[in-house]
Amino acid sequence: MQSYVHVILAGLSNGMFIWLVASGLTLIFGVLGVLNFAHGSFYMLGAYGSFTVLKYLGAGFWTGLLLGPLAVCAAGFVVERFFLRHVYRIALPYQLLLTFAFVLIFDNLVKIVWGGGALSPPSLSFLGGSIPILGRNFPVYNLFIIAVGPAVALLLWALLEKTWYGRIIRASSSDREMAASLGVRVPALFTGVFVFGTWLGALGGGLAVPYVGLLTPGMGEAIIIEAFIVAVIGGLGSLKGAFVGALVIGVMSAFGTRFFPSFDMFLTFILMGGVLLWRPQGLFGAAR
Amino acid sequence: MEKKGLNRRQFLKLTGAVPLVAAAGSIGGGLVFPKGLWAATPKIKGPIRIGYQAVLSGTLAGYGEFHKMGAVMAIEEINAKGGIAGQKVEMEFRDSTLKPDDAIKNARYFVDSWGADFLCGIDSSGQALALAPVMSQLDRPLMVTHAATEKLTEEFVFRKGIKQIFRNCMPTYNDGNAAAFIAKDFPAVKWATVSPKYEYGFTCWKMFQETLTKLKPGVSFTAESWAPFGTTDFRSHINTILDAKPDGLYSTEWAGELISFLKQAKEAGLFDKVKYVMLPVGAAMDVLEGMGKDMPDNIWISARYYFQYPNNKENNGWVARFHKRWGHYPAYVSETAYSAIHAYKAAVEKAGSKDTKAVVAALEGMAMNSPAGHRVFRKEDHQAIYDVPWGKTKSDPKYPFKVMGNMRVIPAKEYFNRPPFEGPGTTPPFK
Repeated sequence: MQSYVHVILAGLSNGMFIWLVASGLTLIFGVLGVLNFAHGSFYMLGAYGSFTVLKYLGAGFWTGLLLGPLAVCAAGFVVERFFLRHVYRIALPYQLLLTFAFVLIFDNLVKIVWGGGALSPPSLSFLGGSIPILGRNFPVYNLFIIAVGPAVALLLWALLEKTWYGRIIRASSSDREMAASLGVRVPALFTGVFVFGTWLGALGGGLAVPYVGLLTPGMGEAIIIEAFIVAVIGGLGSLKGAFVGALVIGVMSAFGTRFFPSFDMFLTFILMGGVLLWRPQGLFGAAR
Repeated sequence: MEKKGLNRRQFLKLTGAVPLVAAAGSIGGGLVFPKGLWAATPKIKGPIRIGYQAVLSGTLAGYGEFHKMGAVMAIEEINAKGGIAGQKVEMEFRDSTLKPDDAIKNARYFVDSWGADFLCGIDSSGQALALAPVMSQLDRPLMVTHAATEKLTEEFVFRKGIKQIFRNCMPTYNDGNAAAFIAKDFPAVKWATVSPKYEYGFTCWKMFQETLTKLKPGVSFTAESWAPFGTTDFRSHINTILDAKPDGLYSTEWAGELISFLKQAKEAGLFDKVKYVMLPVGAAMDVLEGMGKDMPDNIWISARYYFQYPNNKENNGWVARFHKRWGHYPAYVSETAYSAIHAYKAAVEKAGSKDTKAVVAALEGMAMNSPAGHRVFRKEDHQAIYDVPWGKTKSDPKYPFKVMGNMRVIPAKEYFNRPPFEGPGTTPPFK
C-alpha cells in the first residue's frame, strides 16, 4: 500500500511537471500552428533566470519565480516578433528548422553566460523538507507541484473559455483571415499568445530549480521530448489532452520504473504507438 | 544532427584556446628553440600536436571544460619550459559529444586533416569501445582519460592487440572491486543499487557483486534500479530502494545526475533508512561542490583522483597552481588530462621520437610521477596502475563542501584484474 501510494505520488508530481512544459507547447501549437522546438530552451532559460535572481540577487524563491520567467518572456517576444512571424506561411519543416536553430543558440548562450558546468541551487527553507505519508517521507515541494499543475490548467481553461480574450484567441486560431477581417489584430495577438506560452515554459523551468536540484545547459532537450510525447498522446493542440496525457505518462512511467524496470521507457513509447495507431489525432485531438 | 551543429559552434569558440596555447609558448620566449640534448635529435620535427576530445555540449558540458583546464595548464607549463623534446606543443580541443560516431569523426579529423601526433580524451565507455578498433587504422597513440570500462583495455588492448590505446585514468576496478573491499568490512549484508542504465553502470554493479560475494560469502543483492541517461526525477528509483529495505546502497550515478539523486534521496529520507552508502564517483569535484553543505555525512565516496590525495609536495603544489590558474579545485578529469600530456612528454623524450611505434614502446611499462601519485602503465593491457582513496564524507571548516574523512587506500595491485583476464586467479582477491 505504502509503496503504491508513493509510486502514484511520484508519478503525479512528475506528470504535473511535464504538463507545465507541455501546456505552453500545446497552446502555441493550438493557436499559432507552430511546433516550437525551442520551448525546451525557454524552460531552461526560466530555470537559469530564476536561479540567478535567487542566488546572485539574494532574492527569495518567489521573487525568482516571478522575475526569472518574466525576463524569458522578452526572449520569447524577440523570437516571435522578429523571426517566427516570417515563417508562418511557409512549410512546416522551415518552422522546425528555425525553432531548432534557437535551441542551439540558447544552449550556447547559457554556456557562455553561466558556464558549461552543472549549477546546483541551495535547498529551500520554505516548502523544503518532507512530511510522512503512510510512514514514508514525501517532499513538501512535490505536493506543491501536484497542486500547481491543476491550478495552471484551471487558469488556462478560464482564460480561454470564459474571457473575451479567450474568445478572440479561439476565433483567430480557427480562422485567421476571418478574425482579421473582423478587426482582430491577429499578428499582435499571436505575439501575445507566443509570449504567454513562453512564460508557461519558463515557469516550468523556474519551478524545476528546487525539483530537479540541478541546472545544466542541456536540460531543456530532455524535457521537450517528454512534452512532445505527452502532446501527441493527448492530441496536438488540445490542452485537455496534454493534461490527461501528462498524468498518464507521469504515473505510468513511475509504475514502470518501480515494477517493470526493464521496460520503463518502452512502456511510454508503446502507449504513444498504440494511441497513434488507434486514434492518430490523439486522445482529445479533433479529427482532421 | 543537432550535435553536429554544436560541434561547429563549439569549434569556433574553442579556436580561442589555440592562440592561448600559442601565447603560452611565446611566453617561454628564448626557451622554445631546441637546446642541449634535443638540439642533436633531428628525428623530432615541428610542433607536437595533440588532438583532445571531450564532451562540451549537453548536460555534461562541464566535464569537457574540466578536461580542458588540465590539458591547457599542462601545455602552458611544458611550453614555458621549452616544450616536449625542444618542440612546442599544440592542442586542438573538440567536442566529442557522447555519441560514438562523433568520437570516431573527431579522431579521423585529428589524424587525417589536422595532423595530430597524439590523441587524448574520451568520456563515455560506449565511445571508447567504438573508437578502439578504429585506432589501429589511424595508428596514433590514444590516451583515454575518463572512459572507465575495463573491456577497453582487457579486450581491445590485451586480447585484440590494439597497442595504440592507453588509459591513465582509473578503470571500473576501483568502482567495482575496490568498493567491494571497502564494503566487506561493514556489517551490511543486503545490498541494492540505483545506477546508470548503460555499459558503465552494468559492468560496475556486476563486478561489485562478484567481488563482494567472494570476499564475504552470504551477502545478498536485493534490488537494482537502472536510471536511463538524462534522468532528472529519481523518486521512483528511490521508492524501489526503500521498498527493498537493504542495509547498503551502491550507486555509480555520477556528475549532475548524482547530485539530483542525492538531493532527492535526502528529501525522501533514504539516508536515515539505509546506513551504508557507497558512491564510487561521489568524490568528483563537481559533485562535492554541487552538493555543498547538503551532502549527507558518513557516506563512502571515491573518485579517479581526489584533490587531497596523495598529501605530498607534488600534489599539493599542483592543486595550489591549479586553483590559482582557474579559481577551482581540480576535477578528476583535470588531473588525468594534465597527466596524460605529461605522459606523452615523458614517452617522447624517452623514445627520442614522436613516431607511434616508438612512443607506444616507451609508454609500455613506463613509470611516472603525477599529481595523483606514482603511475605505471602496465605492459600487457596499457592500463595505468595508481592508487586512489576512499573515505567517508565529513565537514571541514576550510572548504565550502564536504571532504573525505577516514581515508582508506586499497593498493591498486590488490584489486586490479590481472592478465590474461580470464580463468581463475585473474580477478581479486589474490592470494
